[in-house]
Amino acid sequence: MNDALEKLLQNPRLWRGQAAAGSLNKPGWQGLASGYPKLDQHLPGGGWPQHALTEILLEYYGTGELALLMPALARLSQPEDDAQARWIAWIAPPFEPYPPALLQWGVNLSRVLIVRPRKPAEALWAAEQALSSGNCAAVLLWSDAFNDTTASRRLQLAAEKGQSWAIAFRSLSVLSQPSAAALRVQLKPGEKGTDLGILKSRGGRPAVVQDYAGL
Amino acid sequence: MPVSDKPPAISREVTPTPSVKGGRGQYRPAPEQQSFLLAPAEQVHPPPLRANPVQRLWLCIYLPALALEAVSDVAEAFAVFEDKQGIRKILLVNAKATAAGIGPGLSVNAALALLPTLGFAERNPQREAQVSRELAGWAEKFTSCVCIEAPSLLLLEIAGSLQLFGGLKALRQRITLSLESQGFSAAIAIAPTPLAASWLARAGRKVCIRDPQNLAGKLAPLPLSCLNWPDSVCASLSGMGVTSVGDCLRLPRAGFAKRFGASRLLQLDRALDRLPDPRTSYRTPERFAAEYELDAEQSDSTLLLNACQELLVRLEHFLLTRQMAVQHVQFSFFHLRAPATHLALGCVQADRAVQHWYDLLAIKFERLDLPEPVIAMQLCADQGQPFSAKTGILPFTGQVTQQQSTSLTQLAERLGAYIGAESVHGVMTVAEHRPQYAWSSRSAVADVPRCASVPGYQGADYSQLTEMQRNNSLILRRPLWMLREPELLTTRQNLPFYQGTLTLLDGPERLETGWWDDDGIARDYFVARNTKGVHLWVYQNRSREDGAWYLHGIFG
Repeated sequence: MNDALEKLLQNPRLWRGQAAAGSLNKPGWQGLASGYPKLDQHLPGGGWPQHALTEILLEYYGTGELALLMPALARLSQPEDDAQARWIAWIAPPFEPYPPALLQWGVNLSRVLIVRPRKPAEALWAAEQALSSGNCAAVLLWSDAFNDTTASRRLQLAAEKGQSWAIAFRSLSVLSQPSAAALRVQLKPGEKGTDLGILKSRGGRPAVVQDYAGL
Repeated sequence: MPVSDKPPAISREVTPTPSVKGGRGQYRPAPEQQSFLLAPAEQVHPPPLRANPVQRLWLCIYLPALALEAVSDVAEAFAVFEDKQGIRKILLVNAKATAAGIGPGLSVNAALALLPTLGFAERNPQREAQVSRELAGWAEKFTSCVCIEAPSLLLLEIAGSLQLFGGLKALRQRITLSLESQGFSAAIAIAPTPLAASWLARAGRKVCIRDPQNLAGKLAPLPLSCLNWPDSVCASLSGMGVTSVGDCLRLPRAGFAKRFGASRLLQLDRALDRLPDPRTSYRTPERFAAEYELDAEQSDSTLLLNACQELLVRLEHFLLTRQMAVQHVQFSFFHLRAPATHLALGCVQADRAVQHWYDLLAIKFERLDLPEPVIAMQLCADQGQPFSAKTGILPFTGQVTQQQSTSLTQLAERLGAYIGAESVHGVMTVAEHRPQYAWSSRSAVADVPRCASVPGYQGADYSQLTEMQRNNSLILRRPLWMLREPELLTTRQNLPFYQGTLTLLDGPERLETGWWDDDGIARDYFVARNTKGVHLWVYQNRSREDGAWYLHGIFG
């Protein structure tokens, strides 16, 4: 009986509030270090939730949304073991990802896969395929077709199945919509740098990180 | 055999063919049987059993009902007839027809009178030959030496395969069961010589002879009909009272050769392993092509896909026996009233797995526009390549590795099959100062380079980068987002304007290069920040008088 209860409590999907989960530093699973210590402090597990969906809400492209991910993506693109190499898929990016800049950030370009679907709905299909195939370390998705809770649930399940990190970039208009994502953050360009608001965090609590890139 | 046993060679005396005694196969001079014919000296004495022949073992598959099985696999009463000078006589019938009292030799009209619902077809020798070729291709998985003696007679040299397949009994059982599951009724016989095996099989003797010494004894009781000699020869032999193979063996060799031809004597010698019987083995063509005919026109995609899968299974068998894999296959769907529809599939890494090809097919088939129902389909594969398999991990090594059911390229293929291959690509850098030429797309499905050999990658230190990031991301002077075409910006008070007036933070970085081709540039690049807090990469054109501003990238 106790064993079953313990097992249940270990499940990261069970949200028990901060007090019950012990301390934030010990949530029972390991996050993917974001490369920004200030941000890591606020994320349960000390980093991005792996094998789950992360939503990044933003008003304009270019407000630091890629720089936010780059250190983690760079690390994912360079596994210790060559046999574990997996893609980092960019699905329907709004502009051209610029390889020299990616290289400067330390991303292994041979793992970058750009997918440009012709229709928004195809982007969702491609994202789900890429996530569930188990061949992608991370899948970055920009799609207008991603506009309901069902899609977020499907992506979340696919990410779990393929042990992949799904990142969806969405507009601020979906702020009030419920989502199955493990982490939802909002980017706001501030005076000093980009502020990051944690709207939803599985196993953590909402917070606002002012100038996440600063010390 | 002891050569000294033979009598002194006197020109008038002729050594008869060995008589068969007690199945031992030892022949001794039998003085009571002497020919009065003069014969050439080399045919007088039978060649001795070869002293130390290479041990061979031939397995013969005889398909007595091939003519029937090749054209029909229905359970209803069915018969195959042969047209001989206008008379249509039944050749073979299946079990249901036999039960209705129909047998071979009956005329078609008589059979129809007995059973009006009888279905029948004319014998189709081309189809039989094709079936036997397919079977020979299938049999190649048991041995490298398969011969098609006749359409209904296959010979497999199995001496070298016994160890691999766990002994003679297991191999034989495997072949029998596999033939049964393919819907063929077969008689299988095993003997050290190909002719002996085929005679035994034709006679329906399911025997297995391993020692050449025993051949003569086992072959002796076989009727002449199993030799497949012309009717006239058999008739004249039986007219002489010779009704079995043993009788033939007992005849004087010289006379036998003179009356019935030296080739028949040669056959007898070869069957008894006195003379070598070299065979050329059948080689299936290196390219795979198979057809599937539907009973009626079909447009149901599930049914068509199932049929395609069956073709793919055959492809896999074909490739498996050769240790090969293919990169491209083509399906052709034939219609009755329209030209055939073709569907080509390709993958990067040559593969043979049914599941992989089927997945690709299913994705493409979904978007295929068939103008008409399909009546038949064909699968052609291109030239095979040697298959390179991956090393698997033993399940008990304890390493719980992530389930990589498909390889990296397979994902790119799947996406490419659905979206279009040109829409899925990788990227690489190019050593070039002009920003728009400093990169190019790379086929995602080509050989993925290993981490260590990525061109231009210096192994940027992760901690160092975060250090730079902490100071200011603008140290990295190249933006993560590039615009496909630079966007002309309006200016206000000599400053570029994009969603608000831009503040220039860093620059200029002067790029003046490319004069050697038509696309030279002379630009001053700046890092700018607009009122929304977006960092932009803009440039002012120096080659123009007006000094126009352009937006080229965004620091994501």
